[in-house]
Amino acid sequence: MITFDRVTKRYPDGTVAVDALSLEIPAGQTMVLVGPSGCGKTTSLRMINRLIEPTEGTILVDGQDVLKAHPAILRRGIGYVIQQTGLFPHRTIEDNIATVPLLNKWSKAKARARSRELMALVGLDENMAKRYPHQLSGGQQQRVGVARALAADPPVLLMDEPFSAVDPIVRASLQDELIRLQGELHKTIVMVTHDVEEAIKVGDLVAVFRPGGHLAQVDSPERLLGAPVDDYVTDFVGFDRGIRRLSFFGAEGLDLDSEAILGESATVADARTLGLPWVLVIDAERRPRGWAAAAELASLPADSRLADAPLAPIGHTFRPGHDSLRSALDATVLSRTERAVGVAPDGTVLGVTTYERLRTAIRAAEEKADAEAAADGPAGAVQ
Amino acid sequence: MNWSQVGPYTADNALLGLLPPLIGLVIALPLGVVCARFRWFYAPVLSLTTLIYAIPSLALFVVLIDYTGLSNETVIIPLALFSLCVLVPNVVDGLRAVPQPVRQAATAMGFGPMRRLVRVELPLAVPVIIAGLRIAVVSSISLASVGQLIGVSSLGYFIVDGFQRDFSEEIYVGIVLIIVLALVCDLLLVGTRRLATPWSRR
Repeated sequence: MITFDRVTKRYPDGTVAVDALSLEIPAGQTMVLVGPSGCGKTTSLRMINRLIEPTEGTILVDGQDVLKAHPAILRRGIGYVIQQTGLFPHRTIEDNIATVPLLNKWSKAKARARSRELMALVGLDENMAKRYPHQLSGGQQQRVGVARALAADPPVLLMDEPFSAVDPIVRASLQDELIRLQGELHKTIVMVTHDVEEAIKVGDLVAVFRPGGHLAQVDSPERLLGAPVDDYVTDFVGFDRGIRRLSFFGAEGLDLDSEAILGESATVADARTLGLPWVLVIDAERRPRGWAAAAELASLPADSRLADAPLAPIGHTFRPGHDSLRSALDATVLSRTERAVGVAPDGTVLGVTTYERLRTAIRAAEEKADAEAAADGPAGAVQ
Repeated sequence: MNWSQVGPYTADNALLGLLPPLIGLVIALPLGVVCARFRWFYAPVLSLTTLIYAIPSLALFVVLIDYTGLSNETVIIPLALFSLCVLVPNVVDGLRAVPQPVRQAATAMGFGPMRRLVRVELPLAVPVIIAGLRIAVVSSISLASVGQLIGVSSLGYFIVDGFQRDFSEEIYVGIVLIIVLALVCDLLLVGTRRLATPWSRR
């Protein structure tokens, strides 16, 4: 756990970068500091490993006052990743990764072995071990940066806009990778970004900073989208927050309709009996085949089989238990039937959703989240 | 002219060309480190080294004869001082060219200031430092021949001797030998840089 207790950074010219910041970063969680430039988020991050010395207040890392620690020793126990990677150009990839283990006087062989282990962990091919940083792509360099930060297995990882310098596609994959790594490693991660989307995607908690080094709101991404404390946070969080919030609600809350489903061997007459505008046709293995429209079935003989009827495509399906309500809503919006198909992991049909059913599920999920937030007490340490 | 003299004079000239820049480097490294860290210190140092370089070499040789006699030191000391004029700025530039993120990352990884200097900053400054060394070596090799005027042996012998005997071929031989020696030493330094900085090869 990292604790900021009324931490202030004032520069000799009187500029206050961070103003009496109090913040708790729970162990094993990812806290993202986000805000416009000049809000003090980077200064706050760098005070944790004393790249910047606080003027007032205390910072505790796992109970230890950082100001009482020897700076170099403190830093070897805190991983650090920066935007420009800061890899050592004169060292090979494996030696870059082994930096902190070697500073900690590990044997060369042990440090090398650890490098290989980390390269595998962050998804770097082993044949890159002997290359130099300039021979790698930006995304690969950033992976090396993450591997180097993790080399001595520090409990805390600081990330200063780690993915801002790479293109959007690489950035998205690095973010996914970080989420996956964190799922395995459970580090206490503090990340700085100016990208609120990134904060919402990778953070367990998000701290929104105001200009002048003040906190505006500290909350889970879902709460930040669902209940921004004021206009500043609302503006900062941006458009479509209602829709984006649905990403945090699982689609398993949907009550799926299984009545509008018929097998391929069923007849047009069976479909007509249901009296529904659309019927989902499935094959013998319960996999979705397509949608049969009542309007089109009207012109077919009653005894013809649905397998031979013209079917509209399924579009994209969603998986309750894996996908979110946002995904289910998206599938529904994209389908011209205004219905989407929920499938099990093996691809078999679980049921069909409609706007009606989505509305009920969304309302229920929101009420549940709001009730939980109310039970936890007023959200966010706001100054 | 006596061709058997070429070997010994070339060796003498090579020594006078290589030793002063190396001595200069030993002085320039700590001086450059201090100048890179404390900017206010750099301007006076730079003025001083430039001023020294402005002194005619022969004048310095003559002054030093009183102290070191007609020995190699009489030539080596001025040439070492001259080399500072290019070596100090190159050490400073080399250190300043270390990218800020690299320096910051080194600090954040837990390098102390001294360790960071020796393990990260100086290795990264090597190409710029060697570039300075190349200039210093080439200029020392050519300046060393001036030492011949006070009797310190070098390839300048052929020039002085040829002049005294009105034997222009000997003068040309001397000039060509000096140029060839300078080129060979320069190539050696280029090779050294390539070996010392495998990471910068593209």
